[in-house]
Amino acid sequence: MIFSSLIFVYLFLPLCLISYAAVKNLRYRNLVLVIFSLIFYAWGEPTRIIYLLLSAVLNYLFGIGVVKYKGKASKAILGVSLAYNIGMIGVFKYSGFLMENINAIFGAHFPVPEIAQLVGISFYTFQVMSYVIDCYWEKVEPQKDPMKFLLYVSLFPQLIAGPIVRYSTIAAEIDNRRTTLADLSGGLSRFVLGLAKKVILADHLFRIVDNFLGGSMENLTIVGTWYGVIMYSLYIYFDFSGYSDMAIGLGRIFGFHFNENFNHPFLCKDITEFWQRWHISLGSFFRDYLLPLSFFGVRNKYLSLFMVWFCTGIWHGASWNYIIWGLYYGMFIMLEAKLGKKKMRKIPLPIRHIYNKLVIIIGFGIFYFEDLDKLLLFLKNLTFFNSNGFVGIAEQASFCNNIFLIIAAVICTFPLLDYAKKLSERSLKTQAALSVSGTVISVILLLLSSVLLVDATTKAFLYYRF
Amino acid sequence: MNREQVRAKLTEVFQDVFDDDDIVLTDTTSAKDIEDWDSLEHINLIAAVERAFRMRFTVREVSGMKNVGEMLDILMERAK
Repeated sequence: MIFSSLIFVYLFLPLCLISYAAVKNLRYRNLVLVIFSLIFYAWGEPTRIIYLLLSAVLNYLFGIGVVKYKGKASKAILGVSLAYNIGMIGVFKYSGFLMENINAIFGAHFPVPEIAQLVGISFYTFQVMSYVIDCYWEKVEPQKDPMKFLLYVSLFPQLIAGPIVRYSTIAAEIDNRRTTLADLSGGLSRFVLGLAKKVILADHLFRIVDNFLGGSMENLTIVGTWYGVIMYSLYIYFDFSGYSDMAIGLGRIFGFHFNENFNHPFLCKDITEFWQRWHISLGSFFRDYLLPLSFFGVRNKYLSLFMVWFCTGIWHGASWNYIIWGLYYGMFIMLEAKLGKKKMRKIPLPIRHIYNKLVIIIGFGIFYFEDLDKLLLFLKNLTFFNSNGFVGIAEQASFCNNIFLIIAAVICTFPLLDYAKKLSERSLKTQAALSVSGTVISVILLLLSSVLLVDATTKAFLYYRF
Repeated sequence: MNREQVRAKLTEVFQDVFDDDDIVLTDTTSAKDIEDWDSLEHINLIAAVERAFRMRFTVREVSGMKNVGEMLDILMERAK
């Protein structure tokens, strides 16, 4: 099931909220959330939900095991848990890709397995891996109650597409939480904001992207290519950050406070900062669990950087373009590290903004094209290495027809809510006025999104694939 | 070596890694106090400390160290 569907907004969520509010005991409230979370997952994966449950059972045991046993036994259990979790992602996500590459390199003809990817596997597996490692490092106490652990693994707001929530973030709230009025209203507004980002902005931006980059691209002009990839960069931001807003909002409604996953990434001054603002939960996962490793007995920051960005790339999908995309970012982050923060600061701000926006936009182009021939054509089209002309009528017409959508999208990349918050601190009168306008805007956005949902075939979120 | 001697040697490593002779280490010195001490430079620092003190940090220690005081605790513990 996806958040941006009428069935979720007008049936699943109200039923879940009513059932949750009807029981007062936290144990039963947790049970309600587990049941609804499993229905939520089973909606898309009715039979393969078994793998989610298996992951929950095994990692529950791994968590207890790494603490109960000491020394080598504990290390062995950690090793088994990592092998199982990485192995599951490997089988469901990378086995076909691996076999294709083995066949290509060695000229072999091994059958390529066609295993459909499990929805959300990259997200929930990373969560349970962080849990077992944190138990092993004694950063968290293992959860003894199987129901509570299943709640952590399956909690539907963050189950399918993140944020990757650490157990330590919500451990206390699993045991003891309450939803304040501020949580309820703040959570609902945040959910509606995310829904609007997805349905009003992202889905419409994607239509433009599909028109320009989705076809053969052989006749696409330079401006048309730039226009398409800039729209794609905006689309992917609103699609994914919209999902994160909905997840964080839903969590808050039920008394959970997840960490932020986006912090207005396009305001970054350099690429290093971009990744401190974009998909924060994934970046912090690799920073905490992969970066500190020594590889082949060697501790070297460039080797660590390579591993982190190789893994960041391939985490996004079993295709070479994602690996190229990851290493492309790793390269710029390495260059920025070489230059140093002081020298970076000396570069005039407008130049730094132009530099990072170009890197980000071209990066999203690499991210878009899984077909490497098309990627090459795209890169040619971006520059003057094609003979399709500079600008065509199609992009001019599309830009004029979508001018309000594009302006709205660009404005929404800025921290508008932070500005409003600062404004509200001026006086009680302003605070009251902004609070009323916030509620009115939320209702309008919900109605508008609902109308659009009735009319549209719902598009899944991009990050469902990962 | 006592704690202050370890601190003095550690200060030299920090000054060398971050190319700043003005660095003075207290137990509460953390990444917030040294501009270039980010997650990537942390790996460089750890490698330099390991070389200087001829020891190895565990992954947990590398990931979980919050300040210089914790690093000194680990170094003193290993020296025993």
